Amino acid sequence: MSGYLLILPEILLVVGALWALFAEILPGGDRGSAWLGAALSAAAAVLSALQGVGGTSPFGSLLVFDGSARLARVAIAVLTTVWLLWTAGRGKGRVREAVSLAFFTAVGAMFMAETRDLITLLVAVELSTVPGYVLIGYRRGDIRGLEGALKYFLLSMLTSLVMLYGFSFLYGLTGTTHYDGLDVSSAGALGVLALLLSLVGMFAKLSAAPFHFWTPDAYAGSDPWAVAFVSTVPKVAGGVAIVRLVAAVVPSVATGGVVLLVIAGVSVVLGNLGARTQTDVRRLMAYSGVAHTGYLLLGVSALSDKGFIAAIFYAVAYAAPSMGVMLVAAEEGSRLDAFNGMAQRRPAAAWGVVVLLLSLIGIPPLAGFFGKFSLFAAALAHSGPSYSAMVVIAVAMSVVSAAYYLRIVRAMFFAEPAEEPEALTRSVPAAAALAICVLAVFAVGIAAGPVFSGLATLGR
Amino acid sequence: MLTLIVFLPLVAAAVCALLPKQQPTWPRWVAAVFAAVDLALVGYVIATFDRAQTAPQFVEKFAWVPMVNINYYLGVDGISLPILFLSALLTLLAVIGSWKIDKKPAFYFSMLMLLQVGMNGVFLALDFVLFYVFWELVLVPMYFLIAQWGGERREYASIKFFLYTLLGSVFMLVGVVALYLKTGSFDIMWLQSHAGPMLSSGVQWWLFLAFFLGFAVKVPVWPLHTWLPDAHVEAPTAASVILAGVLLKMGTYGFMRVSLPILPSGFHQWQIALAVLAMISIVYGAAVAFAQTDLKKLVAYSSVSHMGFAMLGIASGTAIGLNGAMAVNFSHGLTTGMLFFMVGMVYDRAHTREIAKLSGLAGQMPVIAGLMAFASFASMGLPGLSGFIGEFLSLLGAWGAWGNSHMAWLVGISALGVLFGACYILWMLQRVVLGQPSYVIADLPDISVREIVVAAPLVVLTVAVGLNWNLLLGYVDPAVRVLEKAVGV
Repeated sequence: MSGYLLILPEILLVVGALWALFAEILPGGDRGSAWLGAALSAAAAVLSALQGVGGTSPFGSLLVFDGSARLARVAIAVLTTVWLLWTAGRGKGRVREAVSLAFFTAVGAMFMAETRDLITLLVAVELSTVPGYVLIGYRRGDIRGLEGALKYFLLSMLTSLVMLYGFSFLYGLTGTTHYDGLDVSSAGALGVLALLLSLVGMFAKLSAAPFHFWTPDAYAGSDPWAVAFVSTVPKVAGGVAIVRLVAAVVPSVATGGVVLLVIAGVSVVLGNLGARTQTDVRRLMAYSGVAHTGYLLLGVSALSDKGFIAAIFYAVAYAAPSMGVMLVAAEEGSRLDAFNGMAQRRPAAAWGVVVLLLSLIGIPPLAGFFGKFSLFAAALAHSGPSYSAMVVIAVAMSVVSAAYYLRIVRAMFFAEPAEEPEALTRSVPAAAALAICVLAVFAVGIAAGPVFSGLATLGR
Repeated sequence: MLTLIVFLPLVAAAVCALLPKQQPTWPRWVAAVFAAVDLALVGYVIATFDRAQTAPQFVEKFAWVPMVNINYYLGVDGISLPILFLSALLTLLAVIGSWKIDKKPAFYFSMLMLLQVGMNGVFLALDFVLFYVFWELVLVPMYFLIAQWGGERREYASIKFFLYTLLGSVFMLVGVVALYLKTGSFDIMWLQSHAGPMLSSGVQWWLFLAFFLGFAVKVPVWPLHTWLPDAHVEAPTAASVILAGVLLKMGTYGFMRVSLPILPSGFHQWQIALAVLAMISIVYGAAVAFAQTDLKKLVAYSSVSHMGFAMLGIASGTAIGLNGAMAVNFSHGLTTGMLFFMVGMVYDRAHTREIAKLSGLAGQMPVIAGLMAFASFASMGLPGLSGFIGEFLSLLGAWGAWGNSHMAWLVGISALGVLFGACYILWMLQRVVLGQPSYVIADLPDISVREIVVAAPLVVLTVAVGLNWNLLLGYVDPAVRVLEKAVGV
């Protein structure tokens, strides 16, 4: 029974999902389901935050409730709240299914962050990505949206299968699906193959290069409102999941760290260079997301506790500003020049976006800075000149990222709008959603100390 | 006390931003009052500062991120105090100097105040992470100041400024992290006394390079100077003043606070390279200043040359040279700040900075012309004015370090820079101040009372420090003697 108490936050989210599915016949309708959903996920966030760390491992120790799981659950629940608040304020038309799908994604994401078992991981990954395909193609009338959804669906399915294939090898080699027994050090080349196949799936989910080509197209075909959710919540979970998987398997494979390091470097370089020339905020954020995954993997590749913790911190530090920027794109329009003159129209929101972008660049004292700082520290602590060289590449590339993020700032502050956009009606919940993102970026940055010490217990 | 000095302008920035838009004159008053209070607080620190003590004073220290040993640690010593004063003074003068800003004044003055938070913080922070926080904070308001109120190519210049300095500082961040991994501390004061022996000379070589990239971009040292002419020329007058008067000093301050005392062996390995780059900066800056047709660009390139003298003094590693570097820092803040103000005043009236179009300022606006001549003389190092001390002591320090070796040519060529400086300055004065008043300045008014208020403190300080070196060096000397010992040339 105590196990069910531990997953009370997930249960709350499922209640929200079911309520939204039947919102048509329930009081409150579409908007009501979003409001109730926001309240439920806020409650889930509080519950997750209050939950103790460690203790029992319920459900046959398939799930662990350590500091990483706690941070990820809080982040997922808060991001879901933010998204639902915005939806309650500005959602157009029939949003109830979207609310429901978002909840299912969030539940899957939470389990993804908690599990230490291959099969549970696969189920959780599917639970968090399948609703994502529908969200991407949620506006049925839009052909490009359907194209994006189809691309996302096909690639995601393919990589899931590759991952499952890898899991089957891992199971065949070790006879267990639980992380505690996944030592493939005696399996030689087959172990490496099993590891690679398993990780390829995770890389594609996190859109790490060279498995990233689907993201810009899928996002560009979709409503920024849907992208805001799909590109952030599963990524937080994916960050924790890959850390757990790598911590369990990779140390037993000699070349594991190098593979991760190469993937990290390629992602950072291709992502940042790709984002440089984009004129669509969705594509820009998609490519920059590839780069941020690269930074995250840089921490993972150090194969130390510090690196793992830094990667999880960074996943959260990336998701919050990314969500905020995409929600603003949902308000202003997703082309870069749709942001033109925003500082005149909505100065507070424009400054909010500036803070979010500065955090993504890694300017102190915001969350992104402490994320990058701890990642670089972890990578430099790894003895090996290739790690130091990669850090140099990564910091140089973060200057490239400043160049394209500043293009958004320039559009907001210094460019004249081509035509006067129609005035946006005021929406308190949508403003609150953006405010939460901005405050989170500040708070996680200034309180980086407590957040890091909360993460210190990484379940093995 | 120091916390108040750092964060008081932040309050001003918030107040400015929140003032009602219908009252465009309120923000400047808020900014002026807060900047004046801040200057008064710095004045109090100067008055109660114990010159005999070399350890940091007015220390405030408590844990920030205890897990990795990051502290909130502020303190002031003889190296930071003069530049802190410069930061507070020039901010106040910049506020008064931009009294007539009518484009989004609330935004403008809150950026100016935010800039001061960053500058004061850089010079007072004694913990590396805190130092880096303030270091980066400076970029954001300066970016907006240039991009919003700058000249025609402001967008290009502002982005270039931001990216260049960010590129430098991320390498500094790598240095900070690597230093922490080797020593387990972010405490600059602790590192000054402990890091040197802990680090092998190979490690110090790399760390020095990383920090060099961060600091040298800011100074700027040739060949990392190319952002400076663009940023200076496009920036509004007040931003140019602060850029030249304070932001460039962040670079030289970094060398004196971090690179030399913490990485003495790294410094020895890079010493000659530093000196050569300083020499090239001196000569190159002066030569390029010669060729400028735009008055503001001429002043901008002269900054490259002057800061080269500061770098030469630092590279010498001797107490005399370091005294000289500090004197260049201080004097350059006064005189170049003043020159930028004067160029701004001329531009406000004549709407051109073309040297060819301006002539005979002395006939039409004698006071402005006179002040410009005064600032020029001080800038080129006329004895009795502040510019002389720095150039003289830097060269003397460099001679002390290399005069009796085969590197003496380096000092000789650098000394020629003084001559070049006199040439381009005097030629500029001849073309702009003397001669028949040109048609573009016909019937234009001379200096206003407000502008005199801006210029007067700079004139007084230039003369006072020039006549009584001890006014400045009394604070600096004890600190740089400790530094000399730490470097151990």
